[in-house]
Amino acid sequence: MAPTPNGKVAAVKKKINLWAWFWILLGALYFLVPLYGTFDFSLREKRGVLSLLAYQNVLADPRFRDSFTYSALMALATIVVGLLLIVPTAYWVHLRLPQVRPLIEFITLMPFVVPAIVLVFGLIRIYSGPPLALTNSDPLTNFLLMCGYVILSMPYTYRSVDTGLRAIDVRTLTEAAQSLGAGWFTILFRIIFPNIRAALLSGAFLTFAIVIGEFTLASLLGRPAFGPYLVYMGNNRAYEPAALAIISLALTWAAIGLIQLLSHGRPGQEQVGGVH
Amino acid sequence: MAFLELTNIRKQFGQAVAVEDFNLKVDRGEFVSFLGPSGCGKTTTLRMIAGFEIPTVGRVAVDNVDITDKAPNQRNVGMVFQSYALFPNMTVAQNIGFGLRIRRESESAIKERVDEMLALIHLEQKGPSYPSQLSGGQQQRVALARALAIRPQVLLLDEPLSALDAKIRVSLRAEIRAIQRKLGITAIYVTHDQEEALSISDRIVVMSQGHMEQVGTPFEIYNFPQTAFVASFVGTLNTTTAEVVDSARGVLQIDGARLETAEKLDGRQKGDKVTIAIRPERFSFASEQKKANVVDCRIENITFLGSIVRIQVSIGSGKYYMDTFNNPFLELPKIGDKDQVTCSREAVLVLKS
Amino acid sequence: MAQATQNQIRANSSQRSLVIRNLVAWAGVVPFLVFVILFLFWPASSLITGSFQNQSGAFTLQNIIDLFTPSIMNAYMLSIQISIVTAIGGGIFGFMLAYAVIQGGLPRWVRTALTTFSGVASNFAGVPLAFAFIATLGHTGFLTALFADKLGIDIYNLGFNLYNFWGLALTYMYFQFPLMVLIMAPALDGLREEWREASENLGASSYQYWRYVALPILWPSLLGSTILLFGNAFGAYATAYALTRTLNVVTVLIGDQISGNVLFNPNLGYALAFGMIVIMAVSIGLYTWLQRRTARWLQ
Ligand SMILES: Nc1ncnc2c1ncn2[C@@H]1O[C@H](COP(=O)(O)OP(=O)(O)O)[C@@H](O)[C@H]1O
Ligand SMILES: [Mg+2]
Repeated sequence: MAPTPNGKVAAVKKKINLWAWFWILLGALYFLVPLYGTFDFSLREKRGVLSLLAYQNVLADPRFRDSFTYSALMALATIVVGLLLIVPTAYWVHLRLPQVRPLIEFITLMPFVVPAIVLVFGLIRIYSGPPLALTNSDPLTNFLLMCGYVILSMPYTYRSVDTGLRAIDVRTLTEAAQSLGAGWFTILFRIIFPNIRAALLSGAFLTFAIVIGEFTLASLLGRPAFGPYLVYMGNNRAYEPAALAIISLALTWAAIGLIQLLSHGRPGQEQVGGVH
Repeated sequence: MAFLELTNIRKQFGQAVAVEDFNLKVDRGEFVSFLGPSGCGKTTTLRMIAGFEIPTVGRVAVDNVDITDKAPNQRNVGMVFQSYALFPNMTVAQNIGFGLRIRRESESAIKERVDEMLALIHLEQKGPSYPSQLSGGQQQRVALARALAIRPQVLLLDEPLSALDAKIRVSLRAEIRAIQRKLGITAIYVTHDQEEALSISDRIVVMSQGHMEQVGTPFEIYNFPQTAFVASFVGTLNTTTAEVVDSARGVLQIDGARLETAEKLDGRQKGDKVTIAIRPERFSFASEQKKANVVDCRIENITFLGSIVRIQVSIGSGKYYMDTFNNPFLELPKIGDKDQVTCSREAVLVLKS
Repeated sequence: MAQATQNQIRANSSQRSLVIRNLVAWAGVVPFLVFVILFLFWPASSLITGSFQNQSGAFTLQNIIDLFTPSIMNAYMLSIQISIVTAIGGGIFGFMLAYAVIQGGLPRWVRTALTTFSGVASNFAGVPLAFAFIATLGHTGFLTALFADKLGIDIYNLGFNLYNFWGLALTYMYFQFPLMVLIMAPALDGLREEWREASENLGASSYQYWRYVALPILWPSLLGSTILLFGNAFGAYATAYALTRTLNVVTVLIGDQISGNVLFNPNLGYALAFGMIVIMAVSIGLYTWLQRRTARWLQ
């Protein structure tokens, strides 16, 4: 019987594999070295020994707690308002106005043409003087900041909601619910929301990841958020910023990890990008 | 001398054997189908001819040249994929001309050949269209033209029609066969549809679990299936176990009746169990009195299938199908009627188990 | 006659109800439209009008003319350069990674890991990212120290500087290439194995397959993601702000205008922002045009 002649093919396969591993390794290095470097750096506040002193300092700092709480609340508000704005709109467009979908999609991509720094500039121009002087009071400035965040996170929220709606048969579900006597409120909150829960949650966590460390809007609107606090620490301390970077990373990681977990095995739900 | 020769082919993926003991000689211009259920190794065998898989053991030769180890792009074998695999970024004409462009033929030669191919598949107007603008059947015809444009030695088709709907499947398979005849090209056609294989092929290779069950003309495969697998896979078939009563005269006993077969029962003893098979169309009502194989039955069910009427009868405890041609003047029996059916001695097939 | 009138009325009323239905349908998207007008379009367009006004509100082109002073032009050039460099660099690197993990025959978990990392890294940006790179490659950073201690090499003596153009580019790349991975992964998934086999079957070499089939098919995604990466870097403010005060990219310049760190002239600031919008709009227009021209098969 003939000997096995497939040696050549196996060699080619090996080569492809090696080459693939090479790039992956390079990517892993790029990704991990700065993280390791930061972590290592964050432990060196005490001369000569590794310690968690930088972390202790950070956690003991009331401004850390205050700014973090502020940003977390801001993120929650953004998520709620953003979803209340986007989900009914996307649902309605799916159901009744499919012809305007390209327009809505175009609009949700506009924050891309208008970067955060430009957006906040415009917001300040409009809302810092009469007739709509929102920036004169703190609660109203907070509101303005939240609206800005809703705009910034809109491309991501819309995308995940839209993917979620595409995956279910919106029309049939709605008609079935209507035929059983459900009103719009019931349909939206008892039928649609639960059915696209995974998509909503992934949009929510992404928004959280974007808002929690956001600097541009918060700083230029002068709000005591986590992002400006980070910069403040960066200007005044050496090791604490590294500790804060690790903490931020852990938070981002948790948010994205939850998205991955929730969208597990669902194609098209991998999420993209943030605000830099 | 055979044109395409597969000798002692065996293919393993890790420990799993996908194909083994595969031996086949195909003549120039012959149309051979690989028929078998999904997962039986048809595609794997085809891909070994195309060069996408290398046989673990064995040899592939075309026109007496061993191509077992040749890279796919060094072979001159055309392939038509189940999913068409047309390049979406190229027009129909560019798709068809792709192989020629790779071979660095002149623009005018390419254009001439493309036009010739477009005429062959009756899509003269579609040259500048993109694949996404064509129907499934048109796309598959373009894929066929693309494979043929390079004047391959062998044409391979892997379930080319299974993504299309029934009507187009039937018309396109006739078209494929006509084109193959016209060009006189050697073709291997993979399908899991027995009707398709029967209607299109010069010869059929019935496969099961990686090995060949039977090779033969459609006529042989249908009328003289050699194994229980072939018998059951090709066409509708009544099978049952029978006990040998008289091996010399071919007398068998099934539940409720005694049957005679024309097949030889050499080497079988009285009392041995054998599997027998009878095609539904070989049964008929026993109107004229025959000597052998007239058995009592009861009508269980009647299904109208258009050109034929399928009647289910019970003989003893067994249930059998019987097909009769539809005829508006036919007087159908009623369910529950007692009747007699018969079949010729030649209709009773004894299968290798 | 009476019959005809009645039909007429019925037709009219059904037409009217159709109009009403349409209005109701549009009413459903009104809250959204109002919101984006209030907090996106109005503010953005006010910057555009503002850039054509002087401090007292009269029409002028002076702000636009003032954009063409060397310092501002340099800022735009710097922003565009860093965006192009990191879009192309991050694009190539991200593409290689996505390709390796999808077509390279690696185990499934590598892909899952890479996607998760990319999701995190593309969102790990802004201030913390700058801190991470300062802690790693700054003057006393981890890698800098490692090179100095173990190899006796001072990378800053060799010309490396985290706070110059290439340092900033290296930092931006950290969120650029993961973004590329995330965008290219679905596109590469769409690259069907049969296309490679069909082209091989027709005699094409691996190079010819890439040249004539794979790259043209991937081209729209490549083009789209490059533009996305470009915009991503172009609009980045926090990273640049936290990392370096010496490299004046446009966003930093605008930030300074807003917070009044420089000679305060809001209308010039509006013009700066207007310039950014124009550049983004032009690059997206260019993208659309290229896409139309080069990928006719998509239409
Ligand atoms: N690349 C592969 N790796 C592992 N197993 C395979 C591969 N290709 C095919 N097989 C296995 O080989 C057997 C035959 O497959 P195939 O030739 O595709 O069958 P068919 O075309 O008749 O449906 C199947 O059990 C299949 O799972
Ligand atoms: Mg198959």
